[in-house]
Amino acid sequence: MILYRPIDGEVLSSPVKYQPSTCFLMTKLGTPVPKDLQRIRKRIASVLKKEKIKIIDANSVVTGRDFLLNIWHSIISVPIGIALLHDEMTNETMSNIFYEVGMMQAYGKEVLIVKTSNVQVPSDFVRTQYIEVNDQLESNIEKYLDGVIKIAEHYTIMADQFENDPLLAIDYLRRSFLISNDKSLREKAKQIFDEAGLEGRAKNSVERYLVNF
Amino acid sequence: MAGRKKGIVQTKNPKTGRYVKIDRDKGRIVSHKSTKGPYKGVPVTRKKK
Repeated sequence: MILYRPIDGEVLSSPVKYQPSTCFLMTKLGTPVPKDLQRIRKRIASVLKKEKIKIIDANSVVTGRDFLLNIWHSIISVPIGIALLHDEMTNETMSNIFYEVGMMQAYGKEVLIVKTSNVQVPSDFVRTQYIEVNDQLESNIEKYLDGVIKIAEHYTIMADQFENDPLLAIDYLRRSFLISNDKSLREKAKQIFDEAGLEGRAKNSVERYLVNF
Repeated sequence: MAGRKKGIVQTKNPKTGRYVKIDRDKGRIVSHKSTKGPYKGVPVTRKKK
């Protein structure tokens, strides 16, 4: 997969540091963060911790490079994204979050919207799964994550169907690995790569970046 | 079955609940079913053991 940096459109020319079993949380981080939003975030965090999924957000990585580039690196490296929306958020914050949601979906990530009841989701996201904040929040997130595990199995099944398109098979295995952290999928991907006669590719070739997850 | 093409299989996408038809010989997705239920006459592929 060829990745284009959102800040300048240039091709990413370094390997992605993939982060399996993680979730990129998209929400208001700049102070002041409403107390209700903090409470909801803690509730989400407790479910993810129970499922052994680490939360990453835009403040997780401090590198001195461009903030959007940091967000983008996080987005391409994780399997899951949760957008937490609250009616006390400004339009600017909501816009940033939906931009990140769109990016995540375009990269084939599993995305969930968690919102308070008064938040309106833009029409482009009507097909995106959402959960409302209520007493069932934790159990609904658990059900969602159960579904994500099934999606990982689906990606493995899909990989098996594409013997004649090895790069696509490897990409499905990568997506499955990111969710499940099943290291045998990496080995399977390398095997497909070698059997496809790609082992001679340059160390920084697009194919090498794809298989080295 | 009459008319069944070799190499054509289907599997259910758990995200959408709809079946996806795949041409294994050509290595491509043929179609996504917009209605419930599997494609008729197309074997359902499962996880390799």
